[in-house]
Amino acid sequence: MTPLPPDDDMTPDAALALDYALGALDGPALRAAELRLRRDPAFAADVARWQAELGPLADAVAPVAPPSAVWAAVERELFREAPRTDPAPAPGPVARTLALWRGLAFGASAVAAVALALLVVRPGATPPTRPPAPASSGPLLAASMATTDAAKAVVITATWDAARGAVILTPAAKAPSRGLTPELWVITGTDKPQSLGTIDLADPQAHVVSPQLRAKLTKGATLAISLEPAGGSPTGQPTGPVVATGTLTAL
Amino acid sequence: MTTADLGRLLAAIGAGERAALKQLYTATSAKLFGVILRILHERNEAEDVLQEVYITVWRKAAEFDASRASPITWMVTIARNRAIDRLRARGTRPTTTLDQAADVPEPAPSAEAMLAQSDDARRVAAALDRLDPRHAAVIRSAFYDGVTYEAIAERESVPVGTLKSWVRRGLIRMRSELAA
Repeated sequence: MTPLPPDDDMTPDAALALDYALGALDGPALRAAELRLRRDPAFAADVARWQAELGPLADAVAPVAPPSAVWAAVERELFREAPRTDPAPAPGPVARTLALWRGLAFGASAVAAVALALLVVRPGATPPTRPPAPASSGPLLAASMATTDAAKAVVITATWDAARGAVILTPAAKAPSRGLTPELWVITGTDKPQSLGTIDLADPQAHVVSPQLRAKLTKGATLAISLEPAGGSPTGQPTGPVVATGTLTAL
Repeated sequence: MTTADLGRLLAAIGAGERAALKQLYTATSAKLFGVILRILHERNEAEDVLQEVYITVWRKAAEFDASRASPITWMVTIARNRAIDRLRARGTRPTTTLDQAADVPEPAPSAEAMLAQSDDARRVAAALDRLDPRHAAVIRSAFYDGVTYEAIAERESVPVGTLKSWVRRGLIRMRSELAA
């Protein structure tokens, strides 16, 4: 590391506290600071002092109203009713979710168009706020995402609408995830899976893809859904079981 | 809502009052969402992080120590830490350069002055404006956008040690101005 110039008279500890409070550390330096924070009250106090001084800077960030779904999710997470009892002996949450997904009455031959039709005819389903737009820029691509077990049941249809920059997700049935969060991934060629964000399996929805990831949604790309802890994968790569995959093909 | 009001809400949340969490959320979620979105840019991720932040607030409210930080600073710190954790886990992301951070008036002095909702914030914003623009740009890049020293160093071809020195000198000067 470059030595500090002589006019900088902070001790290395004080400097580490400042760097941590600012949030500019990464890798080993970040881990070292986190360890110190837990073990060294003097260091923690120094960090807290800088955090208190820097905190008012956040006042200059324009507030953005979050969607109401966030509060609903907080309430659900913290204050949900006692879990109802299942008739079957209680399997683990993942097994339960998989059983639900496997139980869906769709064969391997189901094609995207059929599942897309469900968007219109499935009883009880809430339609997405807008119907899929006609393909005005590039072909409409769709993937029938099937379970990864032998049943290969189609559980969700994903249609990539380049014109809207959104993946239209149409679950074939309600599949509560029991506290686990489904996360959508795209895999192109031999690249590592790229997260498209967490999704909801309960209702059809238009899932907006950030502009820098849109180029990944091409014919032949694989979409996958994994089950992750609340808030999504903590590592940026799938950490839970992959419950469904499908390949994007032109409609 | 005043600092004292927020402090009372945190105390009530620490005692397990659900209604207080709802009130705190109503009063503070837009501010925290703005901070998180600025770091992550991606709305879905930012919403997930916001959810985690209020779950953390519920669980840790009893540990809040008013002698160390104001309620909103405490919450902003949780929000920034969570958002930065998520950003680091994601790996790479496009970033603006220091020149852009220095040139683009975000937050421009006038915007800061307009948006600053407390005297503290106005004084801190003014003190940041008086720093060497390069020092202020590194502080802004790290604080507002969650960019690491390594990423700034690579982008600007400035050694990490130099950046750290700029930040230290800048923040020490800010601290002494604010104490004056």
